[in-house]
Amino acid sequence: MRIIGPDYLVFGVDDLEGSRTYLQDFGLKPVQLDATGWLYEALDGTGVVIRHRDDPKLPPALQTKNMLRQQVFGVEDAATIDAIEAEMSRDRRVTRLADGAIEFQDVLGFELRFQVTRRRTLNMPAEKINAPGAPAQRAPNELGVTDDVPALPRSLSHVVLFVPDIDKMVEFYTRRLGFVITDILTGAGPFLRPAANDDHHTHFFIRTPAYMQGCEHLAFHMGGPTELMVAGDRFTRKGYQSFWGPGRHKFGSNWFWYFNSPLGVHFEYDADMDKHDDAWVAREAPNGPEASQVFLLQWREKWAPGGGPEGGAKG
Amino acid sequence: MASLPLCHRDDIPEGAARGFLPLPDAPRRVIVVRRGTRLDAYMDACPHYTGGTPMAWRRDAYLNGEGTHLACHAHGALFDIDTGACVSGPCLGRKLTRVALTEDQAGYLSVPAHVAGRAAREE
Repeated sequence: MRIIGPDYLVFGVDDLEGSRTYLQDFGLKPVQLDATGWLYEALDGTGVVIRHRDDPKLPPALQTKNMLRQQVFGVEDAATIDAIEAEMSRDRRVTRLADGAIEFQDVLGFELRFQVTRRRTLNMPAEKINAPGAPAQRAPNELGVTDDVPALPRSLSHVVLFVPDIDKMVEFYTRRLGFVITDILTGAGPFLRPAANDDHHTHFFIRTPAYMQGCEHLAFHMGGPTELMVAGDRFTRKGYQSFWGPGRHKFGSNWFWYFNSPLGVHFEYDADMDKHDDAWVAREAPNGPEASQVFLLQWREKWAPGGGPEGGAKG
Repeated sequence: MASLPLCHRDDIPEGAARGFLPLPDAPRRVIVVRRGTRLDAYMDACPHYTGGTPMAWRRDAYLNGEGTHLACHAHGALFDIDTGACVSGPCLGRKLTRVALTEDQAGYLSVPAHVAGRAAREE
């Protein structure tokens, strides 16, 4: 199954105007889909679709109040769509849409859609660093950072789900859709990547009671740690609420910074995630602060030493 | 009991919530909700995780879209404004920590000094 990963995540929100402002300030570009729906896209065209929660164009809501309505997966080609349709039709209803995409529910009732990916190929450099002992990545006179660094989300990276039955979900996504488990946080759940994506994870499942089922967070890849810090600093200065970070995860090695949102999920900036192939053997560690990060920092106002002691020098 | 000035009742628009730091370096804000003459105050600390986590998605954005409940915008939990009880979401069955408000004759509100040192949720 040549699945690449989420092209879009669709939400039905109760504060449409607040959500639109939030997504734009996060760094995503609005594309109006129709009179009542908007796609907020990253540089490669992946992103978040929002509508008011009463909009009849939305797939049905989960039993919980979670605002996630659908995960739209991008796949490599039409043959993959046909293969998924054949596999899923064995035991569930699959709807074929006019544009060739298919829709169905997974084993726990999450709404899924699969389409030939609409993501655009990006051609832009990663953050470049210089270090003794290694060839310089930046040319002489090429600056590492300026005040106007763009720091825009490049691509929808991953989605994290609260799931009441991990075993059923893992079986469905690995055996039926060809996902691979890359690592496991015992007590929480597994990280997974689809066959046509070498990122450490596009999905992470967290074991929860049924009344929590839904999306926990979603993340966008940035061009590097500096872009992540700059984007998070700007977002904080606009009044948005940091939840966790900045820091660097252990599993996946990605830098992270999470923020609260009016979509009822966290939005994460991430950067510099590990890549894996089928030779990788999944690790396992007990979930907790030690396994979750190499280090954790917290935002503060800009400050600099200077000015001398209050009241002037003594003596 | 020592108390700290928080704000004036008119600093909170009708039907709205705002968050105030009881001291500049306090670990958590105090949320005040105003409905008519009624004021309710809670620590800005969602009881989902140990220690509590901040609930707004933007400064002072503590209510859900309809303005009917206090909401934690980490995972969408909804809380009854009258009681602080979680009615939907991860912390179902738990409560926000209520803060006692004192109002003087001019409408200035103050809170017990210990809330400035309180990061954790208390039952």
